[in-house]
Amino acid sequence: MSDDKLLVVKDLTTTFATAGGDLTAVAKVSFDLERNETLGIVGESGSGKTVLSRTIMGLQPRVNTTVTGSSIIDGFEVVGASENDKRTIWGTEVAMVFQDPMTSLNPVMRIGKQIDEALRVRLGMNRKDAKARAIELLELVGIPSPAQRYNAYPGQLSGGMRQRVVIAIALACSPKLLMADEPTTGLDVTIQAQILNLLDELKERLKMSVILVTHDLGVVATRTSRIVVMYAGRIVETGTTRDVFYHHRMPYTRALLESSPKVSNKSHTRLVTIPGRPPNLLDLSPGCSFAPRCKYATGQCHSERPELRPSIEPGHAFACWNPLPVNAEATLP
Amino acid sequence: MSNFSLEDAALMVERPEKSEPLGLFFWICVFWVGLNIFGAIFANVLPLQNPLFGNYNAVNVGPSLHHLFGTDDLGRDILSRVVYGSRVSITVGLGAILIGYGIGAPLGMLAAYRRGRFDAILTTIMYLLLAFPAIIATIAVLSFWTPRSLFKIIVVIGIASVPLVYRVIRTATLSVATKDYVIAAKVQGATDRRILLKELLPNIAPIALSFFLIGVATIIILEGALAFLGLSVNPPTPSWGNMINEARTVLSQNVWLAFFPSLALCLFLIALNFIGDRIRSHFDVTEVKL
Amino acid sequence: MLRYLTKRLMLLVGIVFVISVGSFYLIHLLPGNPATVILGFGATPEAKAILYKQLGLSKPIYLQYFVWLGNILHGNLGISFISQTTVSSVIRSALPIDGEIIIISQILAFAAAIPTAMRSARKPDGIVDRVLGATSFTLLSIPPYILIVVLVLFISIKLGVSATGPSAYVSFGTDWITNLESLSLPAFTLATGSFVVYYRVLRSDLIATLQEEFITMARSKGLSQRRIMWRHAFRPSSVALLGAASVNIGGLLAAGFIVQYLLQIPGLGYTLILAINSSDFLVVQGIVLTVSVLVVAVNFFFDFIINIVDPRISRE
Repeated sequence: MSDDKLLVVKDLTTTFATAGGDLTAVAKVSFDLERNETLGIVGESGSGKTVLSRTIMGLQPRVNTTVTGSSIIDGFEVVGASENDKRTIWGTEVAMVFQDPMTSLNPVMRIGKQIDEALRVRLGMNRKDAKARAIELLELVGIPSPAQRYNAYPGQLSGGMRQRVVIAIALACSPKLLMADEPTTGLDVTIQAQILNLLDELKERLKMSVILVTHDLGVVATRTSRIVVMYAGRIVETGTTRDVFYHHRMPYTRALLESSPKVSNKSHTRLVTIPGRPPNLLDLSPGCSFAPRCKYATGQCHSERPELRPSIEPGHAFACWNPLPVNAEATLP
Repeated sequence: MSNFSLEDAALMVERPEKSEPLGLFFWICVFWVGLNIFGAIFANVLPLQNPLFGNYNAVNVGPSLHHLFGTDDLGRDILSRVVYGSRVSITVGLGAILIGYGIGAPLGMLAAYRRGRFDAILTTIMYLLLAFPAIIATIAVLSFWTPRSLFKIIVVIGIASVPLVYRVIRTATLSVATKDYVIAAKVQGATDRRILLKELLPNIAPIALSFFLIGVATIIILEGALAFLGLSVNPPTPSWGNMINEARTVLSQNVWLAFFPSLALCLFLIALNFIGDRIRSHFDVTEVKL
Repeated sequence: MLRYLTKRLMLLVGIVFVISVGSFYLIHLLPGNPATVILGFGATPEAKAILYKQLGLSKPIYLQYFVWLGNILHGNLGISFISQTTVSSVIRSALPIDGEIIIISQILAFAAAIPTAMRSARKPDGIVDRVLGATSFTLLSIPPYILIVVLVLFISIKLGVSATGPSAYVSFGTDWITNLESLSLPAFTLATGSFVVYYRVLRSDLIATLQEEFITMARSKGLSQRRIMWRHAFRPSSVALLGAASVNIGGLLAAGFIVQYLLQIPGLGYTLILAINSSDFLVVQGIVLTVSVLVVAVNFFFDFIINIVDPRISRE
């Protein structure tokens, strides 16, 4: 329990055995998280952020999957723990808000029962108390007439309402750490902001820490204190939100920023796209995974993998042989 | 595999490998089915004894060099009767399923491709027919439609199988017809005929073939049941079903008489089912719910 | 829900109509005069004349259908010319036997299939799954008539117990122990066939369900594996199981017919086969009609249950 951090991740690596060979989805990821902090994990789809968030809490698939390194949640070592042991922290210490509310709720179970269940099994509440608490939770996440909705099936609710239910389930046992994996991807833009604001508000109210996983830098800009940028299963840059936005050194971070739309842009501004495609994880080059798509790449980039190294600001680190100059801010469009 | 995303990886780890080899047992089964069909076609040419000739000096004899499978209660050669008996089972199985596919498959494909009212009406009719218990219907029609013949049996079972084939083919086509490349072909102005034959047919072929084989197996079981009920071909023409049925009465004197046709029937069914199942899993299509 | 059920009910009426037309027409498939068919060859001209009038045989065929339908609706299925009793009484005495065999067999089949499928699906391609898979596959390829012959052989020769026969059958009310004894063999045979189907359907559906995101979600709540399997995976998958059971009923009846015939248990199947062999066509017609309507009714019942289990279906 170093410095009483809520989460300490060290050299976390997740490998899947597939028909095409071993696939390392998360490689040597290290970071930590303070209590009551919000951290963003950002990357393109396929960068390993979903697998990382699941591995942190030990929720990776049970077969053909190998995890090494360490992930300590409030003093509990997740890596290597049995399913039975992990169950003691799931829900109560760490909980997850899933990506797609259309598939993450059991379609044949009333939503109230899906909330109840956690309360009764994990907290040992009786049927009546659990129901009362479930209705409270539904109200907390902003579902109108919660007592009636308690008996609804997921299919009878809209996507936004379902995601609120998913959040209510995650909050049921008052976890200290909430993992939110692309919590708004499947929703309409107008609903997205509502859900994100709700998460923010709940975080303050319930004194939680939140890990917000997303591909959208706009989502994390104002809501997180620190950001981890991932590419091909590795952290390529990390630092405070401010540093990542304004003092980034890794060309990939720059590319990601340039490709997300900004309100300050003049109308009809062309978005910059990142050339090429995410790498094939089964066939990675020995060098920097981003090198094939990077305009600054040199011979060294293709042959040798850069490790994370510190930049000038405290806590800011990046993995690049040819980093952008320190005053990168000035060159932002 | 050029662009392999993590989401795919996470899915793949929980699934068996996509194109696993068919395996030795698969080819043994194919060989076995081939051998049976060969035997059924060339039974008269093969060095077999006359299946109808009763040698009264050798009744209920166990397996020997002269009669490899022994003889029955009338002194007829069991091996020869088993080989000739396969004719009835295989003819009924293949003939009926061909009728089922001949009518059901084109209708199912067309309905799934056209959709609209054509599909709605046809599907309702087929579901009406499907709800009518096919086996009972078969028994009923065959018991009234006398005199019975192999041809009538094939026609009745074949027609009874149409709604089932229709449903399988329609479901399979439907899942392909909504894929982007089919829509793309439509947009590019490909003719219906071309889309049906070049885009849809190759994609549903594995399911169609798989269900074809399993269908043959199911119909062979049904033919055996009809033989037990006295609704299939009349003795003395041998069929696996009526051989087993006749053997029941002399079970205590001659176990071989029931054993060999039963064995032949079961092995043939196992082979057919296995090939069908393997083709389905080889092409990685989820089990069509029947 | 109500709308869905009304729709199904209308379909049910349609199916029963088709069945009644089919059953009615059966008699006309026979070569020769329906009166001869119904009364047998030794019938007197007077009896024929009465029947002609009764069935309206001189009228056009669609009118004959309505006369026939009117009789059926009054419970009048005609008279068996072999036993000279009403067809409906023949059916009434035989039907409970089929019902009992099927119910026992289904209890056995579900009791065996559900735990084994759950076990298999938990570790697909594990050793247990492979053994169960191979076993079910082999059983799938053994027709009931072979299975029953083997069982009878085994019981009568190895165990020295005489095989069941018509004398062995006693009704449940008279002596329920002997009754269950005499029906255990047919029920077991039918259960084996059903088990294979249910095991395979449930296993493959469970494996698919276990890949769903809501299962991972249930895991993340810290629920036990047992709870996840039963509460979260089994219920959605049981829809496939019930569907399979519904489709299986028709086949089950037919298999039951053969088993009854082989063991000489006087259920519907046995009665049907005797009637076919003695050309007692009104009995055949009556049984075909009854059984078809029952199968359809059972399907409808299963539809209703599936609807309760999975609320998604009626919303589609």
